[in-house]
Amino acid sequence: MTVSTEAMMSDAGKVAKRPMSPRRKRYFIALGLAGLFGGVLGAWMQISQNAEHSTGFAMLSNSPLPANFAIGASIIWVVGMIVSLVIYHRAVDDHEERAYLWAGTAGWYTITLASPAWWVLARAGLAPPADAMLIFAGALVVNCAVWLWLKYR
Amino acid sequence: MENQLKVLRAMRNWSQAELADRLDVSRQAVNAIETGKYDPSLPLAFKLGRLFDMRIEEIFDDGFNGGNDE
Repeated sequence: MTVSTEAMMSDAGKVAKRPMSPRRKRYFIALGLAGLFGGVLGAWMQISQNAEHSTGFAMLSNSPLPANFAIGASIIWVVGMIVSLVIYHRAVDDHEERAYLWAGTAGWYTITLASPAWWVLARAGLAPPADAMLIFAGALVVNCAVWLWLKYR
Repeated sequence: MENQLKVLRAMRNWSQAELADRLDVSRQAVNAIETGKYDPSLPLAFKLGRLFDMRIEEIFDDGFNGGNDE
């Protein structure tokens, strides 16, 4: 008899969830860690930002930050990203790997197109100085959009 | 690329999630292969062949007819 394990009925008649495979566990651990590191950094940045120069949301500001925060945040970012990415790449299947690679390519093209164009326009006095974080944010938005489209369309 | 995955899965009364578990891939991967939006890697195609006890070319059709158009 073929029995679907999509959903198993418990004694109480409730639908029990399928047990998570080791791959899926690693996948969600990687996403959880990345979210945790990002959340801690964002909250810490919001608390640490200089009240005099504050413009509200710290992530959208270029106001000065305390040195202690800058050193700690940069270490957490680099170490946290490396750990999360190693776990993530050990957990993804080749469908998601493909989505990730194309999303990365699209993000890189965003930087390749925007950075030099903005830089020469700024040098000619036709644009404000190039903002690295704004370009990074733009690349990240493109990256996320392509990844979501290729994974969930 | 066209394939028989949906039919083979239905014959065994498996959901996409169950097939995904058996292949150790995500449900989205199974859905993308079934709908022809994604062609699996060679290792995954071999895995499918072993799971259904079929040759890869019996599951997937790349539309090549051996050059016998005439």
